[in-house]
Amino acid sequence: MGAPQDLGGFGPFDVRPTAEGATIRERLLRSPPFIGLLALALLLLIWQWIAWVNTRVPGIDEIVRFMVTEMSGGSHGGALTGEFWAPLATSMQRYAVGLAIGVPIGAALGLLIGAFRWARGLFNDTVLVLLALPAVVWAFLAALWFGLSAWGPILAVVLTVVPFMAVNLSAGVRNIEPGLIQMSRSFDVPFGRRFVHLLFGGSLPSGFTGLRLAFMTGWNSLLIVEWFGATSGVGWRARFWYDALRYPGFVGWIFLFVILITLLDRLLLSPLERRAFRWNQQPTLTFEEEL
Amino acid sequence: MATVLIEDLTKVYPPTINNPKQVQALGGLSMSITGNVFVAVVGPSGSGKTTLLNIVAGVELPTSGSVRALQEGVPARVGYVFQEPRLLPWRTVVDNMLYVQDRKSDRSRREAEFYLQMVGLGDVADLYPSQLSGGMQQRVGIARAFLVNPDVLLLDEPFSHLDALTGRSLRDYLQRIWLQSRKTALFVTHDVTEAVELADRIVMLRPGGVTYDDISIDLPRPRRHGDPAVRDIQDEVLRRFDAMGAAVRFGAEGV
Repeated sequence: MGAPQDLGGFGPFDVRPTAEGATIRERLLRSPPFIGLLALALLLLIWQWIAWVNTRVPGIDEIVRFMVTEMSGGSHGGALTGEFWAPLATSMQRYAVGLAIGVPIGAALGLLIGAFRWARGLFNDTVLVLLALPAVVWAFLAALWFGLSAWGPILAVVLTVVPFMAVNLSAGVRNIEPGLIQMSRSFDVPFGRRFVHLLFGGSLPSGFTGLRLAFMTGWNSLLIVEWFGATSGVGWRARFWYDALRYPGFVGWIFLFVILITLLDRLLLSPLERRAFRWNQQPTLTFEEEL
Repeated sequence: MATVLIEDLTKVYPPTINNPKQVQALGGLSMSITGNVFVAVVGPSGSGKTTLLNIVAGVELPTSGSVRALQEGVPARVGYVFQEPRLLPWRTVVDNMLYVQDRKSDRSRREAEFYLQMVGLGDVADLYPSQLSGGMQQRVGIARAFLVNPDVLLLDEPFSHLDALTGRSLRDYLQRIWLQSRKTALFVTHDVTEAVELADRIVMLRPGGVTYDDISIDLPRPRRHGDPAVRDIQDEVLRRFDAMGAAVRFGAEGV
């Protein structure tokens, strides 16, 4: 990549090939976090505008006020008092247990399906069925089987997470370059080492895709199950306010859900992924560089 | 002393969706290699060169016939250098070396580093393959094959994906490292120049995987590119291929 060329008159779609030599202001305007913040601000503005023209949509200020009352345990009027940490802790606990069970099972299943034909025959269809079933089905089934206990939501997380991990990891294993498998065989690399370095190492990129999807869909189905079949947790609390026609509460809890899942992705999964992919030194081309 | 015995080796690939006709890669090939010699198998595309090496390495099975690679009567340890480097991109260079190594200890890391130094890559042990050029990755592939202390070294056109200058410098590395160990080597190529520069013997194949001719080369080593004696043998090999009517398949390459 050379120095930026002087392209003369810039049109609206022209960009310099690199950020080299760009001013601080130009770099800031092109930095993804800045653009992300800008997009968020825009979204909130649109939301606020809709709330302003439609009284059924709570404004952002209302939502924030409501959630502050929830967090502080203050009064919502009448006998209703704020409750925040207990539902959150309950849901997080179920989520963590569900992931701790589902992720390893799904990963093991995926590696098996990818690596062995017999496992593909045995589990592939089951996994696809699991993948095709919407979370709400698990919600009703779990409620039927376990009543309103904690196991319903946990089972729903497990059953949602397993197929996402399995499908992605098995695809990852099958995408391992055949030349590498042949190389391992020609050097008589023992099975254990092949499993760790070739199979697991090679399917890690798809494993991460699976993990991210599993984290998101797992959280989704947890909320749905709590909505329909639980007496505690974030989903239950959101429904509580929905049934009470207190929309700022309902929307506030949904927002909280979105914020939590985003934080989890940014603070935990992204750094982990970057660390796992430090071998991939080739810079990812951005759209403008490809132009 | 290692021996490779190839008897009446035939390999036929069944029809596939992409290629509805069955393909005969090797058609009754017989040859034997004994001792610390460097043998080049030269032939045009479709003469079954890669298939031959894969069968010797045990990663493919023959349709009929037999291949035995033995060291003092027991199956020989094989070191394979492929056309492409075939390194695990998610492991560092030294971990790629240790991946194929029998033992895991400080000594094997030292050995890995020793062979990396032999190919001029002493300082890249902890880098990832993507941080190396294509030629450097191929040198790692060569070092890896020597690291397992092979009885038989298999090389499948290891320089064909590289530019001419890099290819030539890698041939020098290979020649130097081979001279130190003098492993029984089976090297397949379609490039007559590199075959003559490297080999003690050239086995010429014709399309369909049958031996056409066998030439011994008795020139002192290390051989230099452009040396008149090397050039004479090159001409002789090409003349024989001409006689076979196969030279057109080479085009300008290797001439």
